Amino acid sequence: MERRHSLRSHTIRLVALAAALACRPADRASRPPRDAGYTVRDDAGRTVALAQPARRIVSLSPAVTELLFALGVGDRVVGRTTWCDYPPPARLVPSVGDGLNPNLEAVAARRPDLVVLYRSPLNETAAAQLGRLGIPAAVLRQDRLEDVARAARLLGRLTGRAAAGDSLADSLTRLLETGVPAAHTGLAFVVWDNPPMVIGGGSYLDQLATLAGAANVFHDIGAASATVALETIATRDPDVIAVVSDSAEPRPPAFARRREWRVIRAVRERRFVYVVGSLFGRPGPRAGVAAAELRRLLGQVKR
Amino acid sequence: MKWLGLGLVAVAAFLGAVVLGPAHVPLAGLAASDIVRTLRLPRALLAFLVGGSLALSGAGLQALVRNPLADPFLLGLSGGAGLGAVVAIALHLASPWALPLAAFVGALGATALVYRLGLVGGAELDPRVLILAGVAVGAFAAAVTTAIVSLSDAAELRNTFLWLWGGLSGASWDTVLLLGVYLPLPLAVLFAAARPLDLLALGEEPARHLGADVEPLKRRVFLAASLLTAACVAVSGVIGFVGLVVPHAMRTLWGHRHRPLLPAAFLGGGALLALSDTVARVAVAPRELPVGIVTALVGVPVFALLLRRWTAN
Repeated sequence: MERRHSLRSHTIRLVALAAALACRPADRASRPPRDAGYTVRDDAGRTVALAQPARRIVSLSPAVTELLFALGVGDRVVGRTTWCDYPPPARLVPSVGDGLNPNLEAVAARRPDLVVLYRSPLNETAAAQLGRLGIPAAVLRQDRLEDVARAARLLGRLTGRAAAGDSLADSLTRLLETGVPAAHTGLAFVVWDNPPMVIGGGSYLDQLATLAGAANVFHDIGAASATVALETIATRDPDVIAVVSDSAEPRPPAFARRREWRVIRAVRERRFVYVVGSLFGRPGPRAGVAAAELRRLLGQVKR
Repeated sequence: MKWLGLGLVAVAAFLGAVVLGPAHVPLAGLAASDIVRTLRLPRALLAFLVGGSLALSGAGLQALVRNPLADPFLLGLSGGAGLGAVVAIALHLASPWALPLAAFVGALGATALVYRLGLVGGAELDPRVLILAGVAVGAFAAAVTTAIVSLSDAAELRNTFLWLWGGLSGASWDTVLLLGVYLPLPLAVLFAAARPLDLLALGEEPARHLGADVEPLKRRVFLAASLLTAACVAVSGVIGFVGLVVPHAMRTLWGHRHRPLLPAAFLGGGALLALSDTVARVAVAPRELPVGIVTALVGVPVFALLLRRWTAN
């Protein structure tokens, strides 16, 4: 009995401590601590509670930066990653690093009232550390189009732009639900040549292929990307090979010149499309633009 | 009898690598298939040559440094090759041969450095210093590699490591031809060192008394094994385990005499890598496993079995 009592009082003390910690930013803002409007549960299952809409946001992923600008709160972004290059005004925001293993001091130095991170184990640790500094942090999955829609909703809530967030999310969801004519073009995304790596069904690019009226020939691989043997690509026999490139001027990939790659029909016939990493490599609000662009590129190859 | 068994295993491993694959090719159409002629045949040959070379280098180096833990990558070669490959990527050298060539140059650089450090005590190559120098050079190269990777923003660098962890997906007739021209010399040097290596096993002093030319022998074996390994890294990355365990496995069957041990190690290493690569391609098709994982998964149980039999005798 005695023991259970002490355990309970210990628990109460812990809860009180946690509440006190959680209230700290709220005290500063002298607002009631519970405001459902600015409270969300992020993709790591953490509760992110803001006393007021976020005013100084550090975005640690290019997709989030794009989303914030799309929601009309780009002027509240006070920190970004080196990869955040769209929309152009985003480049004027100070960079705090590459966002993969965030430098917390550089992030904290921007005095943010919200930090948004891509969901990864490393970033979840970083979010917990930011929490200890009293900086609210949201961890968001950004791997597929559904994730972007959900992120738009959550960011809308956190920035006091719930209506804009919901409408962006709805338009992205509609994009997914729109019927697309049955695919005739078999497409393979080759992202690395040695070992050969292709994009699988669990990826954003696979969704874009469908939206563009093509079929990823590696749709059956559940992972986002996978190493495969050359003979597997040759047997799947894609009509077109899509190459993700960072450079502005598209040129045939180095592997196109290699004899062993010429077993693949699309390589022999030089049926390549070049997609730019900054538009296609990251799930974001421009998904519709990317899908239309891919459809246009595929149309050019067929001719 | 042992030789017949090993020969049959080697032939079976090679044929299996040609016949089996993720793509279905009917047996009757095997010779006419583009997939078999352009992809599987060179890949099986490359697997055999690389596996054999790694096992042979391992056997030679184990005898040279008189340490059972020695393997072809102990002497800083993997670190040097990795550094070369990462530098090539960081400098945006795009040619398909840039990566292998850079890895080769890096491995040779590490070899030269280790060799020079091995001579620090005087004109004699000291095996103990050689091991320490190898570990030190490897660690240094790995540190520089990590520094480049963490400071550079090329997403390609992650994939460089995939390549470096080994695999035979780069196989083509070009790489087979390249090895075919390159390998005979270091192979011949190692095979020719079989008898003197037996003497060296007795210790350097006794070997000298028995008439072995110890210093030139050590240099020849070190350089030949390193050149073999550097070429293997260039065409297939760092494939672990073959060079460490195959020589020991063959020792349990053929004993410590190098005259039979070296050719047996070559055949055994070739068979193990050809078999492992087939498993890597087929087991999780349409995906592919890194071959280094399979060499360990296939090799360790076989090795454990041989070890048990050996210790029981």
